[in-house]
Amino acid sequence: MLTEITTLNQREAGAMGHSAILRDGANKVKPGAGEFAGTVGKITLADPRMSARNVDVFYGDKHAIQNVSLDIGKNEVISMIGPSGCGKSTFLRCFNRMNDTIDSCRVTGEITLDGQDIYDKSKDVVPLRAQVGMVFQKPNPFPKSIYDNIAYGPRIHGLAEGRDEMDEIVESSLRRAGLWKEVKDRLDQPGTGLSGGQQQRLCIARAIAVSPEVILMDEPCSALDPIATAIIEELIDELRENFTIAIVTHSMQQAARVSQRTAYFHLGRLIEVGNTDDIFTHPRHKLTEDYITGRFG
Amino acid sequence: MNDMTDGHTVKSFNSDMNRLHQLVLRISELARNQITDAVQCLEDEDISLAREVISKDQEINALDVKADEEVIRIIAKRQPMARDLREIMTINKIVADIERVGDLARRVARLTLHFYDGNNNPPNSHLLSDIPKIAAYADLMLEKAVRAFDELDPELALEVIKMDADLNEEFRSSLRRLSTYLMEDARSVGHVTDVVLGLRSLERIGSHAKNIARYVVFLVKGKDVRHESLEVVSAEVLDKG
Amino acid sequence: MSCANIVNSMNDSNTNGSTTVEKVNASLKRRYARERRFRRMGLSAVMLGLAFVSLLFLSIIGNGYSAFQQTKVRLAISFDEQLLDPSGERNPKVLSSADYNGLIKNALRQAFPAVQSRQDKKELYRLISNGGSFRLREMVLDDPAIIGTTRDVWLSADDDIDMLVKGHIDRNLTEDDRRVKDSVIAWIDQLDQQGAVDLAFNAGFFTSGDSREPEQAGIGGAIMGSIYTLLVTLVLSFPIGVAAAIYLEEFAPQNRWTDLIEVNINNLAAVPSIVFGLLGLAVFINFFGLPRSAPLVGGLVLTLMTLPTIIIASRAALKSVPPSIREAALGIGASRMQMVFHHVMPLAMPGMLTGTIIGMAQALGESAPLLMIGMVAFIVDIPGGPLDPSTVLPVQIFLWADSPERAFVERTSAAIMVLLGFLIVMNLLAVILRKRFERRW
Repeated sequence: MLTEITTLNQREAGAMGHSAILRDGANKVKPGAGEFAGTVGKITLADPRMSARNVDVFYGDKHAIQNVSLDIGKNEVISMIGPSGCGKSTFLRCFNRMNDTIDSCRVTGEITLDGQDIYDKSKDVVPLRAQVGMVFQKPNPFPKSIYDNIAYGPRIHGLAEGRDEMDEIVESSLRRAGLWKEVKDRLDQPGTGLSGGQQQRLCIARAIAVSPEVILMDEPCSALDPIATAIIEELIDELRENFTIAIVTHSMQQAARVSQRTAYFHLGRLIEVGNTDDIFTHPRHKLTEDYITGRFG
Repeated sequence: MNDMTDGHTVKSFNSDMNRLHQLVLRISELARNQITDAVQCLEDEDISLAREVISKDQEINALDVKADEEVIRIIAKRQPMARDLREIMTINKIVADIERVGDLARRVARLTLHFYDGNNNPPNSHLLSDIPKIAAYADLMLEKAVRAFDELDPELALEVIKMDADLNEEFRSSLRRLSTYLMEDARSVGHVTDVVLGLRSLERIGSHAKNIARYVVFLVKGKDVRHESLEVVSAEVLDKG
Repeated sequence: MSCANIVNSMNDSNTNGSTTVEKVNASLKRRYARERRFRRMGLSAVMLGLAFVSLLFLSIIGNGYSAFQQTKVRLAISFDEQLLDPSGERNPKVLSSADYNGLIKNALRQAFPAVQSRQDKKELYRLISNGGSFRLREMVLDDPAIIGTTRDVWLSADDDIDMLVKGHIDRNLTEDDRRVKDSVIAWIDQLDQQGAVDLAFNAGFFTSGDSREPEQAGIGGAIMGSIYTLLVTLVLSFPIGVAAAIYLEEFAPQNRWTDLIEVNINNLAAVPSIVFGLLGLAVFINFFGLPRSAPLVGGLVLTLMTLPTIIIASRAALKSVPPSIREAALGIGASRMQMVFHHVMPLAMPGMLTGTIIGMAQALGESAPLLMIGMVAFIVDIPGGPLDPSTVLPVQIFLWADSPERAFVERTSAAIMVLLGFLIVMNLLAVILRKRFERRW
């Protein structure tokens, strides 16, 4: 009896408490999922490696990314989270123009790498992809030897003169990817014969073999078991010293563990961006909060 | 039960959180009853009620342990994030504070045994006159703090934080009054000491209520205000944009 | 609470007499029966197909196996210098135009001295194929020293004799009903008793060209014609088909034009082959003036016919390469071209090769369009190049099947066996290539 009365009170009070949360913070937040008054949090950085400004992406008629602006800092790991279909992968693929491969895809707005517009007509996509490497959801080593997997990038870009130099690149890439000890005796064996986690590390090694500035990772651990995932996460942490990493992930725990900043996407919009520590303890937008506390849908 | 605990896609997470939430309310209700009963038995010189209060503290302790277990279980099972995480951590602390409140109520109940059980002279009733007043005030603070938690009301929490200063003031004036008794009759020094300890316990209850209120501010606002000045806290609470 | 509900409802259904399990069990028998029935039907369909195929093979092999043997008759030929080289100069010109038929006739007369009448002699001379004189001429030209000596020579018998020896002519029929007279049978039996009749491997069947005389007719010309035609087809259709497939699949923009092209390629694959023959006749022969009956023109026509097959198969092979490989290559900074040639094409190659071989096998078995461009002509010479007039295996089969002589029936079947053999080898090659180069990813 007593509990029932309190319940009633709580309901009213609950609604109040709810709006209290929404009113809080940087005063940009408005209640309701339908309205969007701009990204919550700081999108600009003092010295960004890459920066996107007012980016829109269309797939045919579908407006997949709507007016997103975001900076990616030097030697930071930024994670992009959000429900499926929120556009986080699409946005990630804008940074090395992988969306160009899709005929119906159109990108507007400005994305710069070290101050240069990568969508500029004069900018060639091949060197861009050497500067901005990518690791994909499913480990996708070439059906070639481990050595050739790593050597392919440097070979087509002409980064190595002679066999010795190439050997060096292959070894250092594998070492940095933490794979050298496991594969050094079987470099001539097919990369597809490795385990899933090893394959993904091979793909990371392949990406860093051309010494990019930025590495984009599109859900790199979604096909891996927890141990392999942990190894990759540790690797990401180590790679941060030399590279800027943007990672799209479905696992909020992973985002919380590996990244310094986190961006939350919802229905093609960047809802909130901020320090990972803040996002996961007290996000400022209700949508972010709902998503990371598992209250979606 | 409220917006804080409900709405998860995983329904059993809701019920886990609700159960924990209800547990907090139940412990605090028990603790508040303990305070009332401890003061009541002192007023009524009711030794058996005092004994009951002392033994009932075990109940609070048991619930405290239960709440801790529940918190650990939820963290392990659900990896709570954001406000779930804040709620869990807040509850963890609230429960610890309330358990301390229970201990303090038991101390007050002990006074009854001290005064009336045995061959000692019972104290002058004037000595005890401040206890019910301060107890009522501390109890009100606790009630409000818990309600602020239940209703996620930072303004109510702010009120509790402000009330703590009044309680301190009250406690100090009681001390002054008691010192006049001591000057009148030096033989009453034993009783006065006991009463001061009782008042001190009640004042501590008020402090715990204030702690709880501060946790509530953290819970709702996401900012830890435990060691901030009142101005900072109220600025945080009233910042609505 | 909900648990109790379920238990209650289960109890309810129990009281109604049949539980879910019972209902399931009741329908189980029917379900399995249906499954068995379906399996039996499928199996019988397969068996029926196999039965027809084996019937086909049995009849072809039964008809044709004897064509790989040829009846030979041993004659004691005396290489008479008077007849061959009266001047004794051993002039090759004289030797090559000498009357070798006379030698055979002499030998036959000596073997059967009893035969006197002009009519019977004529019959006697017909025992031996008139290709025998070529054989003797070869012997003399190879080694003129044998002139003046007498040698035992095995010569091919005439096709009627061949049929008689192989048992295809019924001796029990009356003389008027069969092609071989009683006297001829008596001669052959006599020769047989002397051990002068034998069945030997018919190498000539594989090496010689077509002939009006069945015992001299072979598929050598047709095989060479088929090889030249397929060579032209392969050289043209593989690169063109693969290039078209790669362009359409990897480079062409997705728009209405490429859709149109795709639809048309698919339609082209369904066009009756004789239409391609007409096209070839109109374009290659009448317009460009290329020679009639030439493997080059045949190859061009078959190229048109196999191109859609190769393009479709190659596109399917390209499509089956997982997009992750493309992404990997592009992501590392490969250009589109590098992506295709370094990664996608090696992976698609087995599929492309299989498609090409299947297309080639189709082309090998094709006859209708080649009829239109004149490859149906009677050509005795073995073609020496893609511009020489020739015929191809299936057309050869078509020609022989039209001939009335009994001996051509077995040759037709034998030619079919050879054609099927080629087809099986090509299909096996396709399977082996696929297995060999297939890569897992």
